[in-house]
Amino acid sequence: MSVDLRVEGVEKRFHGAADGTGRVILGGVSFAAPAGGIVCVLGPSGCGKTTLLRIIAGLETPDRGRVAVGDRLVNGPMREIGYITQETTLLPWRTVLSNVELGLEFAGVPPEQRRATARRHLEFVELAGFDDYHPKQISGGMKQKVALARSLAVEPRVLLLDEPFAALDAQTRNALQEVLLHVLERTRTTVVFVTHNVDEAVFLGDIVVCMTAQPTRVGTSVEVRVPRPRDRTGPELNALRKELLAFLTEQRLASRPARGEPEPQLPGSAVASAEKPPEKARAR
Amino acid sequence: MKRSVVLVSLSLFLLAAAAPAAAAGEKLRLGYLRSDLHHLAAWVGIEKGYFKDEGLEVETAGIFNAGAEEMSAFASKGIDVGYLGMAPSVTGVANHAASVKAEALANAEGSAIVVRADSPVRQVKELAGKTVAIPGYGNVQDFLLRRALEAAGLEAGAVKIIVIKPPEMITALESNQIDAFIAWEPHATKAVTKGVGRVLIPSSQIWKGHPCCVVAFEGSVAHDRPAVVQAFLRAHAKATAFILANTDEAVRIGVQYTGMDEKTVRMALGNISYRTELERAPVREYASYLGRLGYIKETDPDVIVRDYLDPAGLVKDARP
Amino acid sequence: MVSRRRWHFLLQLAPLVAVALLWEALSAAGIVPENRLPPPTHVLGGFAELVTRGLPPGSHLLGHCAASLRRVLAGVAAALVVGIPLGLLMGRSTRLRTLVNPFVEILRPIPPLAWVPLAILWLGIGDSSAVFLIFLGAFFPILLNTVAGVLSIERGLVEAAVILGASKRDLFVKVLAPGALPATITGVRIAVGVGWMTLVAAEFTGVKSGYGLGYMIMTARDIQRADQIVAGMLVIGLIGFAMDALIRAAERRLLRWR
Repeated sequence: MSVDLRVEGVEKRFHGAADGTGRVILGGVSFAAPAGGIVCVLGPSGCGKTTLLRIIAGLETPDRGRVAVGDRLVNGPMREIGYITQETTLLPWRTVLSNVELGLEFAGVPPEQRRATARRHLEFVELAGFDDYHPKQISGGMKQKVALARSLAVEPRVLLLDEPFAALDAQTRNALQEVLLHVLERTRTTVVFVTHNVDEAVFLGDIVVCMTAQPTRVGTSVEVRVPRPRDRTGPELNALRKELLAFLTEQRLASRPARGEPEPQLPGSAVASAEKPPEKARAR
Repeated sequence: MKRSVVLVSLSLFLLAAAAPAAAAGEKLRLGYLRSDLHHLAAWVGIEKGYFKDEGLEVETAGIFNAGAEEMSAFASKGIDVGYLGMAPSVTGVANHAASVKAEALANAEGSAIVVRADSPVRQVKELAGKTVAIPGYGNVQDFLLRRALEAAGLEAGAVKIIVIKPPEMITALESNQIDAFIAWEPHATKAVTKGVGRVLIPSSQIWKGHPCCVVAFEGSVAHDRPAVVQAFLRAHAKATAFILANTDEAVRIGVQYTGMDEKTVRMALGNISYRTELERAPVREYASYLGRLGYIKETDPDVIVRDYLDPAGLVKDARP
Repeated sequence: MVSRRRWHFLLQLAPLVAVALLWEALSAAGIVPENRLPPPTHVLGGFAELVTRGLPPGSHLLGHCAASLRRVLAGVAAALVVGIPLGLLMGRSTRLRTLVNPFVEILRPIPPLAWVPLAILWLGIGDSSAVFLIFLGAFFPILLNTVAGVLSIERGLVEAAVILGASKRDLFVKVLAPGALPATITGVRIAVGVGWMTLVAAEFTGVKSGYGLGYMIMTARDIQRADQIVAGMLVIGLIGFAMDALIRAAERRLLRWR
């Protein structure tokens, strides 16, 4: 498959320290996404996944490195790159249908056509008939479906999703994953899906890219050659899950302070220091 | 001039003859209108100590922008005696706004219709279709304007009448917002000395000898302290006589209290007739005018006159 | 059977009626002198005269109401036209906010009425100076509320719109303006209230056309008709109340999505 999205050596620091130095969030991230494929970016919390995605979306600029879509460099938000976050960003004063039409409106598509396109996409995400509802009246899962329909209605080349289902309960999450896959069957959209949930990553991704702890780099990258529809509890996914969990745990340990340095204290816990790392024994 | 002096002396004599001596150090709270030259007698009385001579401790309790305001002060019993226009005081009495007794005149005449200095208007008749400003509805100036229009054969509706405060009239005239105004001295003269306006017709020609401002007492004061009232009126008569006999010093006091320049005050003084006798007929005429125009609730002029003019007989009836 | 809504409405009227009766009684008993505060019956009589004969005689109440309303609406409209776009721009741009804020902070505390002498000097005694004064009173609440409204819009919303391809114009018209609308409407309510109060006081200083509720009350004051002064005041209060109620109704309709 041809490569559609290229992330090369992206670095980013926290800005704000007066001397221009700040803690390094991203220490040089590089990976590629094949056209029409789904890349899941998996990493421990706080490793800068959101920052990475915002850089790819053009909402932030890297200190070093670059992102390319096709043969164009990304240096600002582009209509070709869609972006969905955990917090819904539906316009509360517009109806569901009107929200989905939003990008089409901006593109100058005439009303009849936009309405038809919007309705079609609402059908894809299984929300037909909810045209006239307002965001306030629908559930969190439904809102994310609308967000998905809205992003896909403008037929972006790349779609970025930042833990979109993290706030939903497990059942809804699973259902939405399936809706996502179902919708993506019809398009050639390249997808980058950020998550900290290993189950989600192996279920959805063609490739799973694992991030290290800070300074974040790509730790390991695994291809998931399991054909769809995938069995969530099947042996292939289980094996992968094991491998990835182990990697993540390793990263978590690696980010702890070295022996001899003071442990970070939880407020009010006098017991914390008593708990010395027995993990050292297990890692062997 | 001479006749006025005679009349004033006569009143003085009569008052003196009729009155017992006032108690020493009687307090009175006085009100008058800001920069209104018609009230010069009050200022002279204060400056020359005439009130003190009569055993009165007169305290200036209020300087007002309009007669209606002064009437509110009377209603709330904030002042005991006031110099104010006959118009607002009659109106207030007729509308039961306050109980007030007019005891003497402060001045007659002393207003004028003023047009722009370069205006082509030479007669009142030519004011038709123009905008004329008055200080307020129901004022003597309002009345004078209507009388002037009537005399010139115009209906009141022939002229657009609007209300502006006198200090702002000159600016309005200058900037062409209005074509003419009618106001009391010194505003009329000020327009002239500033080069902005020209007198079209003085009020003495609209209604000869028309009463303008009065000396009025709050109802209960007039009723309960007649000796004090008479003492005050004596001082007022003295002050009025002083003005007539000592122009220069009168001008100086006028300048002091109005803050206007000497030239304006001197000229304005010449247009005002300082007199003290209050006659029934003009009051009656004024009261019926108010009734005709619908400004007042009480429409019987005789009832108004009775409530307004002091019943103790200090008023002289005008006998032809 | 009386419907719930109507009952609620009557319940709100009851205290007003009770106070009116008490007031009438106190006046009739001579406890409150009629020249201090005319009783409701006198006030109603005065009101009738304002409608039929008019004050000054010939200038009817309806004409005064129309003139005052016209001025307020013109002033508020001007404030909307200047305030909303400026507010949206200031909400979006920190730089612009920093630039404009000093002027706003200095001018805002100045009561519109303090501008009367300047207004008359610049614009004369006609409608323009009245409208200018109302504009001054209405402008700041609308501006400041709109700015706050924009600032309250979640950043994610704006970003999502940009990503979907919104142009600058699209952003202002389709995201910022509707997003700030709840705050803007609050600003309009305040603005209309302030504008109405400013207007009446501004009309005290003189009005060229001879029509206006403030002018009418000033005339009632000149001829010392306390009953008509109070009647005029009540008319002003009722109209102010009606305008506010209208805005609240519009708000409920426009913000149904909340």
